[in-house]
Amino acid sequence: MAINNISGCIGCGVCVKTCPTDVIRLNSKGKAEIKYPEDCQICHLCRMYCPVDAITITPEKSIPVIVSWG
Amino acid sequence: MGNNINRREFISLSGGFAGMAALASMGISGWGDNEAELTVDEIESKQHSCDVLVIGGGMAGLFAAIKAHDAGAKVLFVSKGRLGSSGQTPFAKGIFEYDPKNAKLTIDEFVEKVSLSAIGTNNRVYTRQLAEHSKARVDELREWGFFESPLYNKSFSKPINERQIPLMERITITNLIKENGKIAGAAGFSIDEKEVHFFNAKSVILCTGAGGFKPNGFPICDLTHDGTIMAYNIGAKVTGKEWNDGHPAKEKNAAASFDGWGDMFLQKPSTTDINIRHDLGVDMNYQAYVGGGGSMRMGPQGPNGGASVKGGPQRPAGLDNQMPGGQGSKPEGGKRPPKGKEGGAPPGMSGGVVGGSSAGMSIHKSEGLVPINDKCESNIPGLYAAGDALGSHMAGGIYTQIGSSLAGSAVQGAVAGEAAAEYSGKTEIQKLSKSKINTIQSEIFAPLKRESGYSPAWVTQTLQGIMIPNFVLYVKKESIMRAALAYVVELRESHLPYLRAKDLHELRLVHETRNMIITAEMKLKASLMRKESRCSHYRMDYPEIDHENWDAWINIFKGDNGEMLFEKQAFDSWS
Amino acid sequence: MGVIMEKRVKQFIWIFAIGIFIVVPGFTYSLGDFPRRSFLKETISLLTLLSFFVMILMFYLSRINRSTLKPFKMAKVLKWHKALGYIFVGILIFHPFFVIVPRYFEAGISPGDAFSEILSNLDKQGLLFGLIAWSTMILLGVTSFFRDKLPMTYKTWRIVHGILSLVFLFLASLHVIQTGRHMSAAFISLILLLSGIGIAMLIRRYILDSTSEKS
Repeated sequence: MAINNISGCIGCGVCVKTCPTDVIRLNSKGKAEIKYPEDCQICHLCRMYCPVDAITITPEKSIPVIVSWG
Repeated sequence: MGNNINRREFISLSGGFAGMAALASMGISGWGDNEAELTVDEIESKQHSCDVLVIGGGMAGLFAAIKAHDAGAKVLFVSKGRLGSSGQTPFAKGIFEYDPKNAKLTIDEFVEKVSLSAIGTNNRVYTRQLAEHSKARVDELREWGFFESPLYNKSFSKPINERQIPLMERITITNLIKENGKIAGAAGFSIDEKEVHFFNAKSVILCTGAGGFKPNGFPICDLTHDGTIMAYNIGAKVTGKEWNDGHPAKEKNAAASFDGWGDMFLQKPSTTDINIRHDLGVDMNYQAYVGGGGSMRMGPQGPNGGASVKGGPQRPAGLDNQMPGGQGSKPEGGKRPPKGKEGGAPPGMSGGVVGGSSAGMSIHKSEGLVPINDKCESNIPGLYAAGDALGSHMAGGIYTQIGSSLAGSAVQGAVAGEAAAEYSGKTEIQKLSKSKINTIQSEIFAPLKRESGYSPAWVTQTLQGIMIPNFVLYVKKESIMRAALAYVVELRESHLPYLRAKDLHELRLVHETRNMIITAEMKLKASLMRKESRCSHYRMDYPEIDHENWDAWINIFKGDNGEMLFEKQAFDSWS
Repeated sequence: MGVIMEKRVKQFIWIFAIGIFIVVPGFTYSLGDFPRRSFLKETISLLTLLSFFVMILMFYLSRINRSTLKPFKMAKVLKWHKALGYIFVGILIFHPFFVIVPRYFEAGISPGDAFSEILSNLDKQGLLFGLIAWSTMILLGVTSFFRDKLPMTYKTWRIVHGILSLVFLFLASLHVIQTGRHMSAAFISLILLLSGIGIAMLIRRYILDSTSEKS
């Protein structure tokens, strides 16, 4: 399901800012939370920018994928 | 153009086209109640003023902000995402550098060769400008540490912080504002705070990138042609909508853009030198189409390991034998394959591939605002555009030079920044009228107020189902394009006014969806109008190049009654 | 008590200690529902986790746990306390840097930038507690190593050592629970239980000591 796990978050909010499609938000506890997974474009920027390497991403999209053929 | 077609005509035309409806809207709820988490009354309105407003935090925006500042203008820099971490810039790893000292072609020869590959579709002035300025921009980037990290936020922040240029991130700009025939500013909202922002500016530079239909496999889901559509709405001319980026994606997990490009996103950027190509990509769409849509594989000789299919998009003489849709067709993906793998599959794309990963996007630098001169200026006084938001046709309707897209964004950003600063130095600011502010504010937030409506995700997916299939925009035919157009017009007329938003994230989706629908209409109508095949535009019903009628770009603009109008502009002429 | 019996009891206590402070955390880790990363990263994580549990163990390997450790000579217990203490404090000194080490071997934010990003977030509770706990731990190590050179009586030192330990374990536990990558309900319960008992034993000791002194 695209970005699928955040563990060990320190609440810096870098991933929230970094995500081009606004998938991640800080929750009421100040921790990053995957709020809009269906908008994830699986680009890994959040993971690469995370200072504590807290983000895990899998290659599957959480909604059906429309392609040109196949 | 007689594109008006009613529903009944469409149904009789479409025949087996009903599959489209089945493709649309898989699994996402459409019409429903809007459980808004905030009310419009909570929104706080903020006003800002500056000489030059730069919109977009990618490569073009970076240089536009810096050069406008250095030329003495008071700059405000606003971005939908984070500086250096939104749009296509973060994934562009190759930057073209023309170094006269060791270049194997003179600039004249370079321009000539690009024009040959582009079959005349390029604007030679911008092709030349790229070569002339690229080294200076690359040198500046090197100084800021650009080449030292695969992530660009730090190196981009350096010159911005040094100059103390105010930067506002995560602001979705929705409107450009024109007063007395000149640009007066822009408006948009924050996706974090309950705030609407009005920017009063003498000059605006759109560095908003290109866009697509939030396709799968290419990291452009935050790019929805926002700048182009905003500018179109206030009367700017737009071009290049008939060209097609033909990048494939992996058959397995097609949406995984990171995985689809091997380790490319992990690489540090590097420079590329002259290597002029004619990378189509859409020829693969053609082969998949005539081959019955069988499993496509990338091999050393191209799709299906070189199994040849007759017909389809043509390359100019001397530029064949290249890998379609391969590494080279991603100028931004700049790094050429290692020696001995030239002509191999794109990184990470061995095995089955599917098309449409960049659906809705033209060729870099070919679509966007029509420039009226070599200063990136649009037909609206004070409105400039740079990079993929400018239809400079720097490379034409085809990918010609690896790494030129990122370099072109830097070069044009700098040119536009200086020009906008100069313009603002001799212009009075146009005041924003109260009535316009009120109208725009209520338009922006209308989807929040709606008690029920369509979810933007559902409308987007429906649009994808209409536009992404191979037989619509890649392998073009009049009948199918008219059918698709009927659907798109339906979305614009009967769905767009009823989009709902429950929070600021969804509000952004609503505005993106609106821009995509208008783009889809532009793409279909421009593709219908160009009755020939050239570069990345391929018509089954007009498979040949038509020099007599079509040595021209197509400009799109809004008529007095809001209708979409089209005109031709001869190659190598100004609008 | 016979010699053999005593040996059995000692063996049992050893096995019990290793079981609770090494095997149970290791088992909890292996059962956790979190993504497995590279060998290097998981090794670092596991080492850090076990080091933390050894820090809790310090409470149990001390005078405050005298009743349980009756079969052992206290001098020997303290020898172990010191040895393990120095080794694992030595490891945990590098804990703030462990998280950025893997960045040397992969693309993304550089280790230096990652570290300065972490430092710029010390106002966040989880990190602030971690920083204070880490500093306290270093202070514990230093005041132990140079105990003889400190201008205080052994009795005073013991009180200081106890208070620092208490502050350390309390804040470190909160830090681990709030920001730990591998925290699960099971882990949190285990930490709360072991730290809670350790801290309770320490406080009980002080109350006992102070009342016995008064009388």
